[in-house]
Amino acid sequence: MKVSVLQENLAHGLGIVSRAVAPRTTLPVLANVLVATDEGRLRLSATNLEIGITCWIGAKISDEGSTTVPARTFADLVGTLPDGQVDMDLVVQTQTLHVRSGTSNTDIKCIDAQEFPPMPVPDLRDGVVFNVSDLREMIKQVVFAASSDEARPVLTGVLLTVEDNLVTMAAADGFRLSVRKAELSQGSAQSMKAIIPARALNELARIAGDGDDTVTMSLPPGRGQVIFRTDDVELTSQLIEGSFPDFEQIIPVMHNTRTVVSSAAFLKACKQAEIFARDGSHIARLNITPGDELQPGSVEISAQSEETGSSEAVVEATIEGQPVLIAFNVRYLREVLDVVGTPNVALETTAAAAPGLIRPMGDDGFLHVIMPMHLGG
Amino acid sequence: MDFRTIIHLDLDAFYCAVEELQNSSLHGKPFAVGGRPEGRGVVSSCSYAARRLGIRSAMPMARAVQICPNLIILRGNHREYGQKSRQVMEILRQTTDLVEQISIDEAFLDVSEISGNKVALARSLQSRIKSETNLPCSLGIATNKLVAKIATDVGKSSIQTDTFPNAIQEVPVGQEAAFLAPLPLETLWGIGPKTAETLHRMGMQNIGDLALWPVTDLTKRLGKLGFDLHARANGIDHNPVTTHRDPKSISQEVTFGKDTNHQHILNRTLQHQALQVSTGLKRAGFVGTTVKLKLRWADFTTITRQITLPEPVDNERTILEYAQKLLKQNWNGKTLIRLIGIGVSGLQRPSQQLSLWDKVDYTRMAQLEAALHQVRSRYGQDVIQRGAQSPNQHGLPPDEEELSQ
Repeated sequence: MKVSVLQENLAHGLGIVSRAVAPRTTLPVLANVLVATDEGRLRLSATNLEIGITCWIGAKISDEGSTTVPARTFADLVGTLPDGQVDMDLVVQTQTLHVRSGTSNTDIKCIDAQEFPPMPVPDLRDGVVFNVSDLREMIKQVVFAASSDEARPVLTGVLLTVEDNLVTMAAADGFRLSVRKAELSQGSAQSMKAIIPARALNELARIAGDGDDTVTMSLPPGRGQVIFRTDDVELTSQLIEGSFPDFEQIIPVMHNTRTVVSSAAFLKACKQAEIFARDGSHIARLNITPGDELQPGSVEISAQSEETGSSEAVVEATIEGQPVLIAFNVRYLREVLDVVGTPNVALETTAAAAPGLIRPMGDDGFLHVIMPMHLGG
Repeated sequence: MDFRTIIHLDLDAFYCAVEELQNSSLHGKPFAVGGRPEGRGVVSSCSYAARRLGIRSAMPMARAVQICPNLIILRGNHREYGQKSRQVMEILRQTTDLVEQISIDEAFLDVSEISGNKVALARSLQSRIKSETNLPCSLGIATNKLVAKIATDVGKSSIQTDTFPNAIQEVPVGQEAAFLAPLPLETLWGIGPKTAETLHRMGMQNIGDLALWPVTDLTKRLGKLGFDLHARANGIDHNPVTTHRDPKSISQEVTFGKDTNHQHILNRTLQHQALQVSTGLKRAGFVGTTVKLKLRWADFTTITRQITLPEPVDNERTILEYAQKLLKQNWNGKTLIRLIGIGVSGLQRPSQQLSLWDKVDYTRMAQLEAALHQVRSRYGQDVIQRGAQSPNQHGLPPDEEELSQ
């Protein structure tokens, strides 16, 4: 193999794939990045057997070939190279990659590409096509609600379903549920249902490029894998087996109180409360008081800590229904308010011990359910 | 042998007594609280004058009016009854923490730990309730709840009056079976008309007959009920007085064998007590907001100092920390200390993150909460309780006023 690439392209590509490298593993090749010529471009791949990431970069290819390069060594080296051209030349017999840039000459010991786990070649014709920015928005709105508790693997994933041109993502740990629905610009011929690890979607959101690019998702039959592909990046992830709980039945269908507030003001008040709540129980109390002819309704958000003190913030609100005192884990509130994406948000509550429902005003595609905290006393 | 002393207290014709307080012209007259005679109304409670005429609670009001055409019928004021009941129960709780309220007008008290003559104690309770609430009551005293309750009823019915009986009946230790023996079988918990008929057919007339009947035969015929009835007929009942009130504080204190001002002895004692209090809190499922330190000097002067924390605690380290702080603030390091103690009060249930997957119908739960709130705000906190909290688990027959609720 003999190729020439630009230092910045190589650094960019290694940055993308390195998150899938498994540095400490019994299989040494997993700590390496596959470097291979591929139809006029250079392909970089890494996998930890759960998630695999491939990135294609522009290259001038003199001789076809492939090898695997220790990821850490390679990335650190490329980071020190000057801007400009990097020439790489593989001695197949010894699996030594000779890297030359400007005045520097380096030899890196590699492992034969034969040992690298084969990466699936997706059939993208049946794939579902997303707009990158839409997909990233969807991921952002649900992925934080997934559980990090490995004891319930199903909940560490995001349920993704596609039916006709409607795509739904849902994630829930034991205490909250996030559901995002969106319409696809190009309808899908087939229905799909898969539980994708939250970590894979986080990676996807990180690497999927920008703007009007598209991402194609495919579920190769019988493989237990999902593949996301953009022009120059591909992410493969194992799916989580099992059945996701029926989340529709958790979504409250009625409420006694509906509180509409400015998302930004509410978020700010929650952040303030969190400063004090984070030391202890994470409890923020919401005292929701409807207004009357003379004054608007209000939500008082308060938190206290044994050590640091206490805080109270009042946010003006439009409230329909009964007054209610309800307590939430303030981090849960803050995390959802961070992603609602509309100027105003509605909080629907039934009782102090019943789930609260958060909906962005004017965006029917998103909803979030949070279980309150039961206050002592 | 150790024995308990249980007092059963019953407010005499409670609803009627409250009505008389509101309207003194009712005094001595036949009247009843309950529904209208035109409909299916029943008598919830009736005055002693009415009882003399043969009117009973749970009787259809139409029938009561037949018996006594000039019977005064009152609709009842349940909010007022609830308030009065709370006043009485509060007086009882000032006597002992071991109060088990079994209905709006009835309670058991375990007064085993209170020294002195128990009849005198009952009498002082009766007069205190009279003077503070102007309500009459009758009390039964015995070694268990079963006999105490029956004692109240026997005491009441032995007094024939047009006004309130104000009875006090004691059943001395060891006299339980003899006391019950002449009473009709139906007096015992667990003997309804059907069981009574079975027992009568077996040739039993009264509780004494049942007490002497071979227990093996009873068990063979009636199963576990037979066994239980035999014990009851002999005046045996081990049911404890169970308080459903949450404790107000959890504390530990110790009187030193020898007064001390050794810092390390005091510290070690506090450490031990903090651990015990913390364990006690956790076992009872509470956290508390106030840490108290009690100190008694060698001259018996006793001080209690406390710190209120912004967040409730149950952990040993925090409790100890504040107790030590209080000791430092209130002790000069020299004065001899006779007693030291730590307590945590301001108790509450710890906060808890609720789970999405709990199979709960929140809509129905919210409706239930609303309904409970309405009932409680009308009739008082104790008038309705969850099944698990209900004190009436021991098969006590519902009281006359309970029936009407």
